[in-house]
Amino acid sequence: MYSDYAYLIVALPILAFVLTIFLGWHLPKGGGFFTVLATFAGFILSFGILREIYPTNIIVHQSTHWFANFNVGILIDPLAIVMLLMVTFVCTMIHTYALGYMDGDPGLARYFAEAGLFTAAMLGLVYADNLLQLFIFWELVGLCSYLLIGFWYRKPSAASAAKKAFLVTRVGDVMFLAGIVLLYTNMMRIGLPEGTYVLQFQTIYDNLVNIPPDQLTWIALLLFGGAVGKSGQFPLHVWLPDAMEGPTTVSAMIHAATMVTAGVYLVARMFPLFYAAPHALTVVALIGAFTALFAATMGIVMFDIKRVLAYSTVSQLGYMMAGLGVGAAVGAGAVGVGMFHLIGHSFFKALLFLCAGSVIHAVGTNDMREMGGVLKSMKWTSLTMLAGSLTLVGFPLTTGFFSKEEIIVKAFEYGTLGNGWLPYIFVLVAVLLTAIYTFRLWFLTFDGEPRSDYHKHESPWVMLGPLVILALFALFMGVGLNVGQDENPFYTYVGNNFDHYGVDFEELAVVGGHQVVHEAEAHGESGESHGIFHTIIHLLPIVFGVGGILIAALFYSRWKRFDSSMITTERDPLRHLLLKRYYQNEIYTLWFAEKVVYGLSLLFNMIDLKVVDGTVNKISELLVGFGGSVRKLQTGMIQNYITAIVLGLAVLLILIQLTIMEVAI
Amino acid sequence: MVPLVLYVLLASAMFTIGLYGLMTQRNGIKLMMCVEILLNSANINLVAFSSYLPNQNGQVFALFSIALAAAEAGVGFAILITLYRLYGTIELDNINSLRW
Repeated sequence: MYSDYAYLIVALPILAFVLTIFLGWHLPKGGGFFTVLATFAGFILSFGILREIYPTNIIVHQSTHWFANFNVGILIDPLAIVMLLMVTFVCTMIHTYALGYMDGDPGLARYFAEAGLFTAAMLGLVYADNLLQLFIFWELVGLCSYLLIGFWYRKPSAASAAKKAFLVTRVGDVMFLAGIVLLYTNMMRIGLPEGTYVLQFQTIYDNLVNIPPDQLTWIALLLFGGAVGKSGQFPLHVWLPDAMEGPTTVSAMIHAATMVTAGVYLVARMFPLFYAAPHALTVVALIGAFTALFAATMGIVMFDIKRVLAYSTVSQLGYMMAGLGVGAAVGAGAVGVGMFHLIGHSFFKALLFLCAGSVIHAVGTNDMREMGGVLKSMKWTSLTMLAGSLTLVGFPLTTGFFSKEEIIVKAFEYGTLGNGWLPYIFVLVAVLLTAIYTFRLWFLTFDGEPRSDYHKHESPWVMLGPLVILALFALFMGVGLNVGQDENPFYTYVGNNFDHYGVDFEELAVVGGHQVVHEAEAHGESGESHGIFHTIIHLLPIVFGVGGILIAALFYSRWKRFDSSMITTERDPLRHLLLKRYYQNEIYTLWFAEKVVYGLSLLFNMIDLKVVDGTVNKISELLVGFGGSVRKLQTGMIQNYITAIVLGLAVLLILIQLTIMEVAI
Repeated sequence: MVPLVLYVLLASAMFTIGLYGLMTQRNGIKLMMCVEILLNSANINLVAFSSYLPNQNGQVFALFSIALAAAEAGVGFAILITLYRLYGTIELDNINSLRW
């Protein structure tokens, strides 16, 4: 019954967008309650649909013809429903919080309108039933992120950050579109029956075996390119930290619920395709793991509280990608693993950002060096932030623990199966770094003595309420799903997503030409034969995590034993490298953008002006010149015309005469 | 009876004179006169052929032509008078404000 109204999940936020953008100016709070209510209604609907389809084996699929061999449709399978629930729930929390956080901003109505559209775009992306529809909403998400990052558009840094986000993700989007086109061409080549909707997911899954493997690899890599742009993976991650220029609630939305998860979701959605293209999966695993480590190292040296969180997002997204990528070894269960981390991450990252927003709201600065001792004045914020931090680190029994450890163990299995140990090493080291930077942030902000004169006041309850709810989810969702069950029902439910479509992974593995590894074998190898070893593997992330917290405590808390100056100096090249963020700005902006791209643009501009425009101009000049000389004939004097007529007549008469004579002869 | 060929020769001579005048003259009134000569050369032909063939149609046609020429002259001179008022001249070379 709820599923009949599934379209409302997107329609309501769009309605809220229309209402707030036209009427918001006249309403209290900029009409923000429209957006909150619409999103919450979406959550209720999604929950109703979950009750209808869980745990039974049905999926919701509604589709209608659009044009040619494309359709529009709604597809709610396990993968989509968990995303729908997460997006609507987390967005409801964030919008509620924004009612307090954004209060008094002159652009309030615009904020809530754009936030509503952002939510709608993400939800539409999640339950699209074909790749084209997904792409349209994908672009809409990109547009909204641009609008919201540049929300304070009068600030030059915000405007340029918005532009950067838009352009960098655009690089990925072009690859995504190229991937879709390539996939479409290949699908058309198969010769599907008339009336088949070519880009519908069901059709794609059914026909993967018919597409040549090398083509599959290219398609998968191009689609992954799109995901890299959207989900801030190396090397297109540069826009994410800059996206901090928007209001904190926007950061929370982008980093937790809406934007960056889209890329991971795309890879999960197209997982059978990736599975049939193992080289692409290897790339996914390596890039993901590398991003996890790479971003974590930069998080350690940042002083802007939001930037630390931004790098942690990049890092955690790397974990998700790695979780999906190592699926080459462990089978379709990888989808469950990656997605569980995504969902858990949305809760605790939204929580962390909202807490940071609460602190910034009170203290009035982003710089952690000017904070300190906030714990005394903001108990609730501090405690919820602590909950979020513990989850981010993966402290035992928090949600992050269950999701992250699962990824690390999978990465280990990936290594034992002879696929290379790099992903495992990367993600394991990243655990240590994550713990260090997270608790460096927490201690610097909340512990110790105030280092500047700031307002000490706790945020209003409209802001604290969402924090507490999110904190409860961040802490206990993992326990609720894991304890007392043989296997996390989430993994089985989402992991078996593709059974609904009759996807045969063994067949796909043959297509991909990689060694078929049955899950049972993988478990047998790493599970029973190495009992002690297995325990160590499970314990290592915990040890690293707790160790990281201790290190952070020794350096930055009230029980400080060491100072950072003891291990590094101002001249330390490594420190410089990190502070300069690996010279990315220099490489991307100064070298690549200003030298290479600008130089090429100048060259192309020249070619355009001289060759392309030159040809056209020359042709028109010739014609104008010819006309100019010919028009002299048109003297405007009747006598000249008469003369011409008489001459012409004379010539004509002579010719006629000659012809007659010839005929006569 | 005058031979037909003399009429035709007269008409040709008048036509040529008229045409020559039309091509060389610049004065509006002279041009009008040349046009009249042209028309009348045609009229002479019409009447001449008509009387040699026993057929009255040509002469009727000539009458029409004369009436038409009268109307044409009326309109033409009216235009010339207006031009003279506007430009103070009827030298057609000087009246070229619509030229390129």
